[in-house]
Amino acid sequence: MEAKFADAEKLFDRLKSAFVAQDYETSITLLSQLKVKLTEFSGLPPLYRQTPTQVQELVLARSILEYAVILSVKTEDQESFERHFLQLKPYYTDTRQLISRSSEEYPILGLNLLRLLVQNRIAEFHTELELLPPEALDDVCLKHAIELEQSFMEGAYNRVLNARQAFPHETYLYFMDLLAKTVRDEIAGCSEKAFDFLTVADAKKILMFSSDQELLKYAAE
Amino acid sequence: MTVASSASGLLAMLQEQHPALKLYALNNLNYLADHFWPEISTNISTIESLYEDECFEEKQLAALVASKVFYHLGELNDSLIYALGAGPLFDVSEESEYVQTLVAKCIDEYVALRVKASESTEEAANIDPRLVAIVERMLDKCMSDGKFQQAVGIALECRRLDKLEQAISKSENVSAMLSYCLRLSQTHVDKREFRHEVLRLIVNLYQGLPSPDYLSVCQCLMFLDDPGNVANILDELIKGDKVDTLLAYQVAFDLFENEYQPFLLNVRDSLPDPQTTSSSKMVVEGTVTSSIENDSSVGNVETSAANSPLTGAGVLLDGTAGRQAAEDTTSTTEHGSSSSQELSVYADRMVKLKGILSGETPIHLALQFLYGRNRSDLLTLKTIKQSVEMRNSVCHSATIYANALMHAGTTVDTFLRENLDWLSRATNWAKFSATAGLGVIHRGHLQQGRSLMAPYLPQNGGSGGGSPYSEGGALYALGLIHANHGEGIKQFLLESLRNTNNEVIQHGACLGLGLAALGTADEEVYEDIKSVLYTDSAVAGEAAGIAMGLLMVGTASEKAGEMLAYAHDTQHEKIIRGLAIGIALVVYGREEEADTLIEQMTRDQDPILRYGGMYALALAYRGTANNSAIRRLLHFAVSDVSDDVRRAAVLALGFVLCSEPEQTPRIVSLLSESYNAHVRYGAALAVGISCAGSGSSEAVSLLEPLTSDAVDFVRQGALMSMAMVLMQTTEARDPHVGTFRRQLEKIVLDKHEDTMSKMGAILAYGILDAGGRNVSIMLQSRTGHDRAMAVVGMAIFTQFWYWYPLIYFISLSFAPTAFIGLNHELKMPKFEFISDIRPSIFSYPPPTAPPSTSSNIKLPMAVLSTSARAKARAKKEVDSKASAGKPLPREVNTNLSSDSSGSTEGTEKDLTTTTRDGDAMEVDTGPEKKATNAEPSSEVLSNPARVVPLQEKYIKFPEGCRFAPVKKTPSGFVMLRDLDPLEPVELVSTNAPSTGLPSSNVGATVPANSMPVDDEPAPPEPFVYVP
Repeated sequence: MEAKFADAEKLFDRLKSAFVAQDYETSITLLSQLKVKLTEFSGLPPLYRQTPTQVQELVLARSILEYAVILSVKTEDQESFERHFLQLKPYYTDTRQLISRSSEEYPILGLNLLRLLVQNRIAEFHTELELLPPEALDDVCLKHAIELEQSFMEGAYNRVLNARQAFPHETYLYFMDLLAKTVRDEIAGCSEKAFDFLTVADAKKILMFSSDQELLKYAAE
Repeated sequence: MTVASSASGLLAMLQEQHPALKLYALNNLNYLADHFWPEISTNISTIESLYEDECFEEKQLAALVASKVFYHLGELNDSLIYALGAGPLFDVSEESEYVQTLVAKCIDEYVALRVKASESTEEAANIDPRLVAIVERMLDKCMSDGKFQQAVGIALECRRLDKLEQAISKSENVSAMLSYCLRLSQTHVDKREFRHEVLRLIVNLYQGLPSPDYLSVCQCLMFLDDPGNVANILDELIKGDKVDTLLAYQVAFDLFENEYQPFLLNVRDSLPDPQTTSSSKMVVEGTVTSSIENDSSVGNVETSAANSPLTGAGVLLDGTAGRQAAEDTTSTTEHGSSSSQELSVYADRMVKLKGILSGETPIHLALQFLYGRNRSDLLTLKTIKQSVEMRNSVCHSATIYANALMHAGTTVDTFLRENLDWLSRATNWAKFSATAGLGVIHRGHLQQGRSLMAPYLPQNGGSGGGSPYSEGGALYALGLIHANHGEGIKQFLLESLRNTNNEVIQHGACLGLGLAALGTADEEVYEDIKSVLYTDSAVAGEAAGIAMGLLMVGTASEKAGEMLAYAHDTQHEKIIRGLAIGIALVVYGREEEADTLIEQMTRDQDPILRYGGMYALALAYRGTANNSAIRRLLHFAVSDVSDDVRRAAVLALGFVLCSEPEQTPRIVSLLSESYNAHVRYGAALAVGISCAGSGSSEAVSLLEPLTSDAVDFVRQGALMSMAMVLMQTTEARDPHVGTFRRQLEKIVLDKHEDTMSKMGAILAYGILDAGGRNVSIMLQSRTGHDRAMAVVGMAIFTQFWYWYPLIYFISLSFAPTAFIGLNHELKMPKFEFISDIRPSIFSYPPPTAPPSTSSNIKLPMAVLSTSARAKARAKKEVDSKASAGKPLPREVNTNLSSDSSGSTEGTEKDLTTTTRDGDAMEVDTGPEKKATNAEPSSEVLSNPARVVPLQEKYIKFPEGCRFAPVKKTPSGFVMLRDLDPLEPVELVSTNAPSTGLPSSNVGATVPANSMPVDDEPAPPEPFVYVP
């Protein structure tokens, strides 16, 4: 068990270095190796066997999965993000007594909320929100996501788009871009119903594009 | 302790690329499925696609998880499909609810498929092999856990003979398992063919045992209708030592109890005749033994010439038997003579065995028992007689019927003799039934039956002076005497039938022939009866129809079609009814085989044929409690337009359910509250038939309200059914008996009561105290086989609705409730055993007190009756000396106080009867004395004794008893093994019923007859004089 653990740690170090070097291909292969390794540790969810190395195992597994989540953001892979987040979630919810809170926890939870927002899965967004402890809502990352949702719901789309400039974490960028697109989809959908015709200038204003090219490109899509 | 709160992580993992991760996730899901099935169920399609993914290695695991989830969702069918897909991963030995439910489901499914497959006669190839695998694994598990009974049950349900065999042979106690299996196959296997296969298997297994249980083997063989094998076994047994011989006799007695005449006759006929076998063996052996034979025959002058060629064959008999026989024989040392002796022993045993099989011995013994222990209460009859109006012929003949039933098989016809004058009021058909009643009373009196009836029988060569009614009745009586054992009398009845053109005599002769040749399917008799039928005379035709059915009972021959065709042709309702019942009899016990015919009858335009169809259903499915039959009957009971059909349909339920009497009251309880009186009547009789003799309290509580129904015939049926249910039940066991008797008395005495219910009450008396209180209605033998004769008798009895003389058929269903112990010579040794329960629970009901004249106070009455008795005694002795051989003055029933003396005058007495009278008195007073003291907790019975079926479980054999019974259940005929053979055996003195004396003719000389003194009124109750 010790040896396996050491192995995994070594592999994890390689993953970290590859990740820092922005070598995402290698990272993904390393990650999948790591995940297989993790299945051999019985202290992990859902078994939670009490092994001598349980705490280390949990911490290690958690950081690996956190890396996996961030990696999928970097590689812009939403499916993998969801998958890894779901695997990570038990470490946040069920292991309170065993290990202390990870520094990455709130940013990742925030990311997940953002993802749900992007995918327009508002119901799930609120379910997740309810599961969060009250003190978590003060966190800057989570607050950001929550405010975005509120603006989104209110229809204050300009605030949503402006928020892109004030992201709390670098990983949020990807989702913010996607969110802008979601917002524009919403606006376009509404304006289709609202107006018989629109001038390019008006459309640009409504959809909050900075240039005509961007507008034309979006219209082409 | 940390527990998982969600399975979403694992479900997410299923989406991973790496198979190891999927596997890991599945494993954990499998482990968590019982908790997180709601979460998993949303992703069930992922798991399903994994299962269908050809590349995925652990498909079976995926199937298992899917199966569990579907199980929790309540989709058992899907769950089962996936469980099957899980193959070996589905662990049948797991204790979880999931596994148990699914295994049960599996077995159900499998059973359904097997049954379907066997019914459609196609190959069972379309059964999922995986399903079979699971069931087989379950069976193997049962067996390895030692739960053999379960294994046997499942195997039987699945119709897997191979597994059944395995289960039985692997169990520790094979013979116990076999008998368990035998019982199961009787009660739970409702397909006749499969039951036969099971039985065949059981027989094979039994024969594989080192010490086969021949009693059970022969029972099985009887169910299979295989007389040849039974004969072989019996033959082997009587060649063995004494114990084996006893066993052979016991087997024969048990077979006899089922009263399956054609089978018994076949067994008897396939048993080798001792003479012929030995000579045939001689032919084979020929020269080898000739020298020995010569020596021995020279040496043994005393052996007869016929014996000498047999000696050689005797040598060939098996060694142990030889030795045993040598011990038996007294002094011979010479080899040749010992073997010849042994041969004569063998021949002797064979003769005895055949005697049992042909019914002579058991019937004779039962007759002795019924005669010796007759406890009928003449006083009740007297009360009835006096209270019945002279002019009311229905009640008059009902009294005659009741008398016949009360004395059925006891040969005690005192009442008739005493009341010849009264009896002579019976005219026409009443005369017919009065004469036939003698047949019931003398039932089983095979040797003297014909001479008893001689005065009434039609004279050969011309219609003599006798009225056709009494002649016909006498022929019917002969049939009743010889019912089911009519080999000797058949020819005579046949001739009588041929010699007459009178329809009344034809009627009697047909019924008699049907009874005597019950179930023999004799072609010659059939043709003769058929020609009577074709005369198209209503009275004779009806009897002919029934007789044809009786003759062909249970043969399902194509004759039924012929009968049906004629039923359509004829105009006479009586004939149609007779034929309809006849057809019903033909399909007796054929179950599914009879369905086409039943269908044909139940769809007929003619209500009488539909009525017959109901009976056909009843008889074809008698005692099977078959669900489809019950459903069909219930359907007709509520939907047919004809009251007769509805009545018959409800009534038929009683026959179908007679093996499970506790069910009947529940099933017919709603019908018993029907607005339709016919349906209520049917419900009453159905309960009576199926619960007969059980004393069941549910039955009683169902019948009780019906006995005071608004409609007279419902009351009649309810009273009779009540009597059937309460037969041999004592007041100590069920207080209803007393209430019921008082109710009967009230009805009989009430002048304003309807004739119908009065008749019911009188008949109820007869049934309640039938056969001298020593018989009970038994539609099934103790081994659970249906007694064909009893069921048939009961079915025809219920036809009394249309034709009163058919009431006598109920006597066919009476069986003596006796324990008769026999030694190897078929004699009753003196022998005592214990009934470990308070005597009053199963004792005879106390004789009715002499009726007291209303105004008299008690004390003087008692004095008066004692003095009357004393006078009577003195007078009787004088009479008996004086009046030998003379006709006696007829009794005049003018006042009540002369009863006790008057009743003794009816028959002639000698001194021995007087002394016996004294004995009887002692017996009578005995139990009463006991009753006054604290009642003992057990009583000692001596062989032969009345043992009521419910009493059987209390019977014990005392320690150190000289005789040990061969079979376990202490009822019926039991062979006793003598543990101390050297001691002389004291036999029970047999007071056989009188022989060879012609019965009294109406108005003719009253012949001498050593009747027992049952007509003596009960001695006065012991009383304590209180000054």
